[in-house]
This record gives sequence, C-alpha cells and structure tokens, in this order.
Amino acid sequence: MSIFVSKLVGENAITLADGQKIFEQIYPPLKSNKAVQLDFDGVKVFASPFFNGAVGQLLKDLDWNEVDRLLEFINLSDFGRKLVDRVKQNAKQYYTNPTIRAAVDKAISEQADNT
Amino acid sequence: MSGVRKAVTVHVPTVNDRLKDFDALFSLWQFTNGDNLDVTFDFSQCHFLRQNAVAFLGGLARLIKSRGGSANFLFETLEPKVFDNLLEKGFPQAFGYISDQWKGNSIPYREDKVERKDELVAYLKGLWLGRGWVKVSELLANEIAGTVWEIYANAFQHGKSPIGIISSGQYYPKWRELHLTIVDFGVGIPSNVRSYLNHINMPADKAIEWAMRDANTTKPRTAGPPGGIGLGLLKEFVKINAGYLEIFSHDGYLYINKDRETFLARETFFEGTLVTIKLKCDKRYYLLSSEVEKETKS
Repeated sequence: MSIFVSKLVGENAITLADGQKIFEQIYPPLKSNKAVQLDFDGVKVFASPFFNGAVGQLLKDLDWNEVDRLLEFINLSDFGRKLVDRVKQNAKQYYTNPTIRAAVDKAISEQADNT
Repeated sequence: MSGVRKAVTVHVPTVNDRLKDFDALFSLWQFTNGDNLDVTFDFSQCHFLRQNAVAFLGGLARLIKSRGGSANFLFETLEPKVFDNLLEKGFPQAFGYISDQWKGNSIPYREDKVERKDELVAYLKGLWLGRGWVKVSELLANEIAGTVWEIYANAFQHGKSPIGIISSGQYYPKWRELHLTIVDFGVGIPSNVRSYLNHINMPADKAIEWAMRDANTTKPRTAGPPGGIGLGLLKEFVKINAGYLEIFSHDGYLYINKDRETFLARETFFEGTLVTIKLKCDKRYYLLSSEVEKETKS
C-alpha cells in the first residue's frame, strides 16, 4: 500500500503529532507483514520529532530488519533520509540499550512510588 | 494569587550580547519574580537592545501578567532609534501601541502559546531567512527551517512554559549575520535532566551537556516515541555552517561554534531557557546534507 504523507500532514512534516498520524497508518500493515510505501512528494520541511513519531516507535515491538524490508521511503529528500537514519539508530539505542532502559525504568518506578 | 499588590519600576539597561548583558536581563527576571507585581519598565538608561533583550522582555511581561501582576512599558523613555527598531519588530504593537509595522532589518517579535507549525515555518522561511539576506536555495532553506524547528520542538515538548515561547530576530548588516533568539519561561533544561536522571545535585552546565548529546532525552519511554536527537542536529548544523548556538538555562551556559564547545557554570540564575542561533549570511558557508556527506567521504 502507498501512503501520501502530504495528504495527512501537509508540506511540513516536523511534529510528533504528525508523526503519530503516519505511525497509525503504517503500523497495522507492517505488523501484518505487508509492504508499505511512504511517499513524501509535496513535503518540504522535515524535523526529527516527525520521524520519531512515524518511524522511531515502530522499533518498540517490530523487528527492525522486517521494517527495513517492508517500509519504503520514496520522494524523500537527502535531509529527510539523514533524519530517518538518525532516528533509526537512536530508536535502536533507546529501545535496546540497557543503560538507557535502566535509567528510564528507575525514573518510572520512582515516579510510581511517589504517586 | 490573591495578596497585596506591589508596584515596582525597573530600569532596563543597554543590552548587547555579552555575558554581562544576559546577567542584566536575568537580574530583571529575579527582581520581578513574584506574584501580584505591577511592574513599570523604564528605558531612560537604555541605548540599545538586541533581539535577545526584546524576546526576553516580552516574555517577562507575559510572565508577570500570568502571575496576577501587570507590566507597563514606558516607550516614551526610549531613544528614537531604539524605539524605531522595536517598532520594526512589532514589539510595542504586541503590547497595545498602535503603529503601522515596518520591517527594516528586523525580524518580527513573536509569541507562540501552542505549536502552530505552519505559521512558525512560514516565519522562519519567510520573515527570518527569506528576506534575501541569506541567498540559499529553497531546498537548503527547508533544511535550515527544519533544523531551527528543533529548538521550538524542544521548548514545546519539555519547556512547560506558562506563557509559551517568545522569538525575536535581527539581521546585522555590518557583520552579515542573522540572529534568532527563542526564550521560554518554563522549568529549564537542568530541571528536566536532573529529574529524569534522579540526580538533583547535577550542575546545570553538566545537565545541558548531557541534553546536547545525541540520543539523550528526558522523555520517559512510557510517554511514547523516542527523541533526543534534535539538539545534536542543531549543534552539527552550526558547526558545519560557521554559525553559533548559545543556550542559557538556570545557571548553566553553552556556547558552540565550529571551533569549540564551551559549557560553563555561571552565577546568574534564570529558571527558563534562552537559545540564540546565529547564521552567517554568506552562501559559501552553507552545505546541503548531501554535500556534507560527499565532503566527509572524499
């Protein structure tokens, strides 16, 4: 299936909320092992929160190799591709690095203790 | 916020962009940091105000009002050239002064309580970059706007500013430089980092240094997607393009340019976050991401 990003978020793909809109469209088919094309024709400005929301959180419970195989980015600028690469690397670290996870879990448990 | 009202007058000094100028601004914040204050800003001792001061004073006035007080700017005490510059920015107009705004070399004063992405991108591309001072392609203008957006995204996501985010810019023809200051009056970067790492005694400069590293974010995993690369991208951008980035938050300070990264613990405290980005108005300094990659590989 193809998803035209500009139809959902306009020409500025920069916010986490917009990224979430895309995530909600692509997560179900990817989870069902179906290929998805994200078409960025008409999108001009990119920023990392958008890709964190759209792509980064996929890694929370999908295998990244599978996401790489199934998810295709087309008409994406070099800057957009650079951001996607950074977001992917960051998400891998975020969801798999034990140090980061330990710090997060500690903060969360302490927050819970205080409520 | 009920209680006794108190009237105070503050004398706004000349504000440039040296560290002592920021100390002067933060002293104004400290002096007016309370509820129910009726504050009068007198400019009779002020001979120049940079965009950092304009953004800061506007935010301070909104903060005072949000705490049950009032802020009154005595624009008639301003020297004509300083007042003209403020009019160019639309600053007096934002506080009720009636005038036809004109542009000059100023970039409009702006307040954003919510994340209006299309308006802000139009501001960055059209009113900040797009006035012909930096001759870059549309593709590169989009990259720059996206990169500077990271400052706003960070402030909206983490700042918890009660009055939103204030911006003001200026083109300095003598140095061919374009500046933009973005300030919020929220909890500050060190507060978020200390809370996240459960390290209440972490020095402010170390906290800012931590926040600037790629992949470090103060957002809990339960709050949704990962984050934490925006400030790193910004740092990379100013280094490549001969600009600078300066951040004040609490008593922490960061200065980054292509040659150095300086983190300092300072004496003057300001609870929010003030960020200034400076760009050179010479297209020779600018590279698209694809061009940077080629240069790195060759």
